[in-house]
Amino acid sequence: MNELLEQLGINWSLFLWQAINFFVILIVLTFFVYKPLIKVIKERSQKIKEGLEKAEQAGIRLKEVDNIAKGKIKEAEAESINIIKNTEEKSKILERELQKKNEEKQVQLQKELQDQLKKQLEENKKLVLSQAGELVKKAIIKTVELKPEAIDDALIKKAVSEINEV
Amino acid sequence: MEEISLRAQELFHIGGFYITNAILLTLVAGFVLIVFSVVIRSKVKIIPGKLQGTVEMGLESLLGLMESVLGSMEKAEKYLPLVATIFIFILVSNLLGIFPGVGSLTFYNGSEHVPLFRSPASDLNFTLAFAVISVIVTNIIGMTSVGVFKHLGKYLNFKNPITFFIGILEIISEIAKIISLTFRLFGNVFAGEVLLTIIFFLAPYFIPLPFLFLEIFVGLIQAFIFAMITLVSISLHTAEHEH
Repeated sequence: MNELLEQLGINWSLFLWQAINFFVILIVLTFFVYKPLIKVIKERSQKIKEGLEKAEQAGIRLKEVDNIAKGKIKEAEAESINIIKNTEEKSKILERELQKKNEEKQVQLQKELQDQLKKQLEENKKLVLSQAGELVKKAIIKTVELKPEAIDDALIKKAVSEINEV
Repeated sequence: MEEISLRAQELFHIGGFYITNAILLTLVAGFVLIVFSVVIRSKVKIIPGKLQGTVEMGLESLLGLMESVLGSMEKAEKYLPLVATIFIFILVSNLLGIFPGVGSLTFYNGSEHVPLFRSPASDLNFTLAFAVISVIVTNIIGMTSVGVFKHLGKYLNFKNPITFFIGILEIISEIAKIISLTFRLFGNVFAGEVLLTIIFFLAPYFIPLPFLFLEIFVGLIQAFIFAMITLVSISLHTAEHEH
């Protein structure tokens, strides 16, 4: 047996060398390659998983936000329609009020104008009356040229009363 | 033509140990792997570079294969170091064995000129060491996973003559596994070395090229087979048996 092993070159010290070499390489590769790489692969897988979950959540949230936005837009549309309706109604009421106020003002103005005209007429009348005596007197003098002092007062009174009646 | 020797040739002595050309190339392979490991360790990042990406791809493929054999990723990760180291070490040794200079560079050891380097797997000490480690470690794994007595019960079972006989067969099969693993790898690599030596002697230019590619392929396949047999052995030893 020993001769066969000798012929095949099997030597226990060389066998031990090779075994030690293997275990040294096993330890080095385990601590420098396998463990760090498996750790990194796991970390990366975890990060990818988290990223995918977050992306899914973000998608759901986006959908929710989209729905909320659509709801808000609908609300805003309804509100704007309401506002326009209210504004139209208010403007109509305001228009009517303004029209009414305008009409009242017009009436007021007309009245004021009429009053003013009346006043002016009165004043004119008074002026005409104040000057009418003198005018009649002059006319009578010119016509009669007789004792104006005797008749003028009677004539004036008569003329004035006639004018008043008019 | 250089002499073809079945055993690795002695180069020099260190203390009581003597260094052969196969041991020297094993040390070179070990050094290459240590440098590679240190480089990888310094470049490990969450966003991988080309080197890290390539190594990760290889590791993940091996993990996937191991998961399909062992049945769980947890087990695959647990036994990855043993299986992957066997594969990588044998592969690197086989590839270094066909590098220029291996077999052609010689060294005078005091009595004769011998090749400075020899493919590690063409030395029976290398293949025997790997086979023994594979069988012993897989049995230890079996003991730790199913229990020492339950595992040893496979080999020594005195319930009845049939189970006792099966136990004896199991022991013989483990010994046969060591022999088959040892001589399969040794035979393939040694035969490749002999083939390349003869081809280089007969036609040194261009003709050896296809044979070199064949040796690369054989080196890869043999490393893979060794690792797979170890993996299957782990799977068998860690499985719960029903008797």
